[in-house]
Amino acid sequence: MAWSDRGRRQPAVLSRGMVNQRRHKPDYQILLLSSILLSIGLIVVYAISPGLASQKQVSDNYYIGKQVMAILLGVVAFLIMANVPVRTWQRLQRPLIIVATAITIMALVLPASIDYPAHRWIRFAGFSLQSVEFIKFTLLICLASFLSNKAQNGQMADKNTMKPLLVVLGLLGAVVGLAQKDFGSAAVIVAIVATMSFIAGLPIKRVLLTAVLIVVASMLLILPFSYRRDRVLNFIHPEQNCLTSGYQACQALIAVGSGGLFGKGLAHSVQAYGYLPEAANDSIFAIFAEKFGFVGVTILIVFFMALFTRLKNIMERTSDTFSRLIVTGIMAWISVQVIINIGAMMGLLPLKGITLPFVSYGGTSVLFVMAVIGLAFNISRYTNYTSLSEVSPSRKKETGYALNYSTRRPS
Amino acid sequence: MQTEKPSTVINILGRIRVLYALLVFIAAIFVVRAFYLQVIKHDYYQKAALSGQLKQYEIPAERGIIKVHSGSGIVPIVLNEPRYTLFADPKYIKDPKATALVIADTLGTNVSEYEAKLQMVGTRYTVLAKKLTKEQKLKIDRAAKDRNKAGSLWKGIGTRETEYRTYPQGTLAAQLLGFVNDAGEGKYGIEQFMHDELKGKSGELKAITDARGVPLAANKDNLVKEPIAGKDVLLTIDIGMQQQLEDILKAGLDQAKSTSGGALILEANTGAIKAMANYPTYNPAEFFKIEDANLFTNGIVSAPLEVGSIMKPLTAAAAIDLGKINKDTVYFDPAIFRIDNEVVKNVEEDGGPGNRSIRDILQLSLNTGATWMLMQMGGGEVNQQARIAWHDYMVNHFQFGKKTGVEQGYESAGSVPDPLNGYGLNIQYANTAFGQGVNISVLQTAAAYAAVLNGGTYYKPYLVDRTIDSSGRETVKRPEIVKQAVVKPETSKAIQELMEYVVTRNYSGYKITKPRPEFMIGGKTGTAQITKSNGGYYDDRYTGTFVGFLGGDSVQYIVLIRVDNPRIGGYAGAGAAAPIFGKMSDMLINNSYVTPKF
Repeated sequence: MAWSDRGRRQPAVLSRGMVNQRRHKPDYQILLLSSILLSIGLIVVYAISPGLASQKQVSDNYYIGKQVMAILLGVVAFLIMANVPVRTWQRLQRPLIIVATAITIMALVLPASIDYPAHRWIRFAGFSLQSVEFIKFTLLICLASFLSNKAQNGQMADKNTMKPLLVVLGLLGAVVGLAQKDFGSAAVIVAIVATMSFIAGLPIKRVLLTAVLIVVASMLLILPFSYRRDRVLNFIHPEQNCLTSGYQACQALIAVGSGGLFGKGLAHSVQAYGYLPEAANDSIFAIFAEKFGFVGVTILIVFFMALFTRLKNIMERTSDTFSRLIVTGIMAWISVQVIINIGAMMGLLPLKGITLPFVSYGGTSVLFVMAVIGLAFNISRYTNYTSLSEVSPSRKKETGYALNYSTRRPS
Repeated sequence: MQTEKPSTVINILGRIRVLYALLVFIAAIFVVRAFYLQVIKHDYYQKAALSGQLKQYEIPAERGIIKVHSGSGIVPIVLNEPRYTLFADPKYIKDPKATALVIADTLGTNVSEYEAKLQMVGTRYTVLAKKLTKEQKLKIDRAAKDRNKAGSLWKGIGTRETEYRTYPQGTLAAQLLGFVNDAGEGKYGIEQFMHDELKGKSGELKAITDARGVPLAANKDNLVKEPIAGKDVLLTIDIGMQQQLEDILKAGLDQAKSTSGGALILEANTGAIKAMANYPTYNPAEFFKIEDANLFTNGIVSAPLEVGSIMKPLTAAAAIDLGKINKDTVYFDPAIFRIDNEVVKNVEEDGGPGNRSIRDILQLSLNTGATWMLMQMGGGEVNQQARIAWHDYMVNHFQFGKKTGVEQGYESAGSVPDPLNGYGLNIQYANTAFGQGVNISVLQTAAAYAAVLNGGTYYKPYLVDRTIDSSGRETVKRPEIVKQAVVKPETSKAIQELMEYVVTRNYSGYKITKPRPEFMIGGKTGTAQITKSNGGYYDDRYTGTFVGFLGGDSVQYIVLIRVDNPRIGGYAGAGAAAPIFGKMSDMLINNSYVTPKF
């Protein structure tokens, strides 16, 4: 195909879909659910802000102030993403890759400080930015573009499709997992790649093969490092290491368990006062569970599931493969962070040091989660009235709405 | 050119639903897990939470302060001052080197020891520095607040306030006061004896706290029991007398080339101790620097000794009181007695055998005279009757061999030989008549003299004038009579005259100012041989002692001086101890402490 020029070409089916699709009202439920989740986070941070401040000797409103700032920035990011055409990001792939690479290299090169160890952050105008969030965003756009091309061209089963995926996985795994020692984010990246590839139509055999590869690679990454081994072992028996390496896991369980059915009340968390490390960031779910109990936890999980349901609906109803894969990536991004975070706080998964989207204190996390939600909000304007499966097979050809790709196998 | 095989149809919608189903499934697991943790296992985790969060604290009560008289006023001599302990939780120290550097910078001390402590593994609490002053603590606080400079380095560093004793008068009355050790226990002196009253009653705090132990705001599990501050103690000591006594004692010891000694001023008509000095001394604020624990002991009450010839007036008192002799009795002194195959003779230049009076016995300090007086108690010889009679006076009248009960730690009872059991009892008892072979403390001696000279009432010697509790209620200690009629009033008068006679005859030799008619002044020297630790006596080591009294119409003060092993010629009592009494009596008279005759 001589006229194929790396993604700028609009495949016939795709262009038909977009052109034929009229812009309509976005899915305001996404906005509503996101706002509720952000508010929950803000309330919890507000409640524990004085306690955290007293531990760190800063002013009472230090934490809540920074969080409000981050949300305001997030609103700007949301508005930009909600209104800039999605295609724009596809065209901006190269600048995105350059920026993400530059930020990652800066984080790796700049000296790590006490407050910001492990070369994960860059500090910029009083803010500290987590480089991995840029990586995730760039990955989301580029992978959606790459996979949508392959899917449209029926090349999902090609070896040429698989190879770049493995290279990207290996590269990002090395940078995030090994250089930045951020095993949690590495897991999120793997989940984003795997989920998007799966939805793009990667053959099941390849999916399974990749899964085996990832398990083997993870073992190789975990076993030689004692602190990672400890985390895994602690998650199996948290009570045994309460005073040493399992301290955080143990305190998290105590926070969750002591919350009871209805919780201790907003103002009565004790674990936030220095017992549970990272009470506002990674451990915020445990503090939430202590304050609001089983009822609160259930409601929180329901809110998250409601949001994922809205995202699933967009995936089902958009006729544009690129957009669908973007939303797939967003759902993978947010849901895997939620699973890893809550799973760790309830002793079901090893601790990973990852934030709970919307709820956790932390500027970069809030900013990027709001940005990608803005993207999903944008895409929600271009969905069909019904789920695409309900379109009759006979109309598939005319409309090009077909959600079932055909895959050619090279002989 | 590619050839195409029949295409495989991939059901994307199906995949989306598989993915979604997976999320629903995980969400369900989470809800079930939350139910298990928060509802089923709630009690277990609630208990675990409380065991970490609920802490019980002792709220230390403020220790009472110690005050003394200053003329008609009152001044504090032991106060409390907040000091600070700097500690660290090494777990939180990210950069020990930098943190150590900032601490050393702030306190102006050595880096290396802090660094080592900040790197300690396996402990959550290590003390970096103790007894920081308020000023140093403020410096630390300022450095910690300066977040641009070193803020993050202070994570895991904290200070804790503790009250420490301070001594505005420095070393004054050190052994008498004692000190408070790091565990908050009173050691030696008043601090030890009065510990229970000084320390107060500590309060109790049971509270939900943050991880550093700072109680969180109101909570139904919190419980507070306020501490009750310790009682303040006002001593009988007069700071002026105490200061002068210490100065005079030190100067006197220097003059006698002695390295240690003690002195005491006791009020004869109450038993109140007005001044009590020991040398060498120490600074109780720096008790931890002292290696030789002997420095802590108040030798006046804790170190009984063979007092030597200052016993003789008491022997005379017993013999006169029993009616065996009177103060004008004259007898023939052979200048030597053989008892139990041992020899009693005189050490002073007594002029050999001849007729002697009781005055002569005291003025010339005749050992044979003292022995003769003891013989009179036994009908003419040292026998069981004499021993029992003298023992009765020593123990039941003069209270030797018993603790006085003065408010001091580690008081010693001393020892009086048994009159009925033992080897060579007669020579032993002959020795006790002139102050050898019987161990009594300086305080016991002074208290016995107070009783003999004040007309016969033994007052318990005491140091605590009153205690004042936290609500300001005073408990005044009245003089406590231990025994009435220790001796008859006539005996008291006789001994008083005899001792006045000694000073009147010997004052120039003793370097005492010539007695003035408006004051009553009397005394007796003593030169006691020092016992070797393995038995027997040193040939060349003596303790110089002096007992003196001052007054106007009646005896007001008993003064006791002890000089250990003076290295000057002549007799220790006359040459070393008596001059100190001389200066003391001048001081007491010149400062109008003594009420002149009416």
